[in-house]
Amino acid sequence: MASALRAAILGHLRVPVVANGSKLLTPLWTTSVRSMSSHDDHLEKTQVIDRILDIVKSFPKVDPSKVTPDVHFQKDLGLDSLDNVEIIMAIEEEFKLEIPDKEADKIDSCALAIEYVYNHPMAS
Amino acid sequence: MSGAASYLARRAAQKERVRILYRRALKDTLNWAVHRHLFYPDADALRERFDANKNVEDIETIDRMIADGESQYNKWRHPDPYIVPWAPGGSKFTRNPEPPAGIEIVYNYGREDH
Repeated sequence: MASALRAAILGHLRVPVVANGSKLLTPLWTTSVRSMSSHDDHLEKTQVIDRILDIVKSFPKVDPSKVTPDVHFQKDLGLDSLDNVEIIMAIEEEFKLEIPDKEADKIDSCALAIEYVYNHPMAS
Repeated sequence: MSGAASYLARRAAQKERVRILYRRALKDTLNWAVHRHLFYPDADALRERFDANKNVEDIETIDRMIADGESQYNKWRHPDPYIVPWAPGGSKFTRNPEPPAGIEIVYNYGREDH
């Protein structure tokens, strides 16, 4: 009986939470990125770009000096569509991804590959 | 002309089928030949087989070759392919699903009302 009374009084005296109190002091990027957190799954864009460029440069039919982050595999590098498939498979292996067949068919250039890998939640 | 457009559409569909077939065959080759030093010569041989028919022009022949290739692929599919763990068919798929939206844990140990 006394505990029920205490609970009722506490419920009545509950302090309202201030919603927008310190929004000005904490910028948005600090809340989306937690430094020193063990949830470090998300790759950074520079890492993604470096790794993808390394993959493309180490492809035997490609001239490494021509590879830039926005190069098109078939138009700029003179590769075949089957070479395209091979590069995408290498990217899948590098980032431990599983790209569905229809999506993989559309990846035609470095820029698209970087976009896809960066926006994939399970890329590592 | 609609004839040329449908021809081009058919060729484009065939090219897409070839690309998807090559992709699956390459993954299958990797499944069978687990070690890279065995995989590379096998992958080269597969590429040679695809390249040998690169310049065929007749649409019916191409269709028949693609169907042939797909049936060969189906015959040689690995029974236990490597699938990335979080993908459907992998070992981690739906292992820890997200709980539904309304459920949450109420942290009131020692402060329960009873």
